[in-house]
Amino acid sequence: MPNILSQLEPIFRDILDNSRLNLTRESDASNVAGWDSLAHINLISAIEQHFGISFTLGELQGLKNVGEMIELMELKLAI
Amino acid sequence: MNSYRWDELSEGLSHEFEAQLTQSMLKEFLELSGDQNPLHTDGEFARKAGFRDIVVYGMLTSALYSTLVGVYLPGRYCLLQGIDVDFVNPAFLGDHVRIAGSISYLNQAYRRAEVKASIHNGDGQMISRAKIRVGVHEH
Repeated sequence: MPNILSQLEPIFRDILDNSRLNLTRESDASNVAGWDSLAHINLISAIEQHFGISFTLGELQGLKNVGEMIELMELKLAI
Repeated sequence: MNSYRWDELSEGLSHEFEAQLTQSMLKEFLELSGDQNPLHTDGEFARKAGFRDIVVYGMLTSALYSTLVGVYLPGRYCLLQGIDVDFVNPAFLGDHVRIAGSISYLNQAYRRAEVKASIHNGDGQMISRAKIRVGVHEH
């Protein structure tokens, strides 16, 4: 199974309509163009459907960047 | 008008309704949009372009997706947040169309539903398909 970051990158590229986006663990809404509140909901929706997981609002509010999201996803995916 | 609250929605919940594409709809859409493209106003031009008659605006038929979510699914408490539409086949004046949608995904954290929807003509041919993203407000 490809690692989570490499699976997240095409999702971010698709939702944010940026085929050259290089996603890192340090990526967050302040340093990724187009990552606004509506795009955020679109990203979470796409991630939930791709990985077959679901987040609570509380879990999402505590995340600071993609790296922290990956850590949360690793817990949910038990990897 | 339906009045689904968030907790009443479930994946697979579906609704559909029918409409006819009329000359007055075409005229009113021309007035409000200003889209004077002859494909939608000139039968001869449309036929030379390979269509059997004036083509109904894709965005006019897509307005029926607004009705689908604003009146039926979820209805009264709908907040339309986004829509992706593919126009698969042309629609023509006088067509009777059926607009159908089904909830394909619910995002519990942000209380947003995705509705897979489509419009078919009276011959069963698909006019367009759409993925519609809607919220449900609490008012």
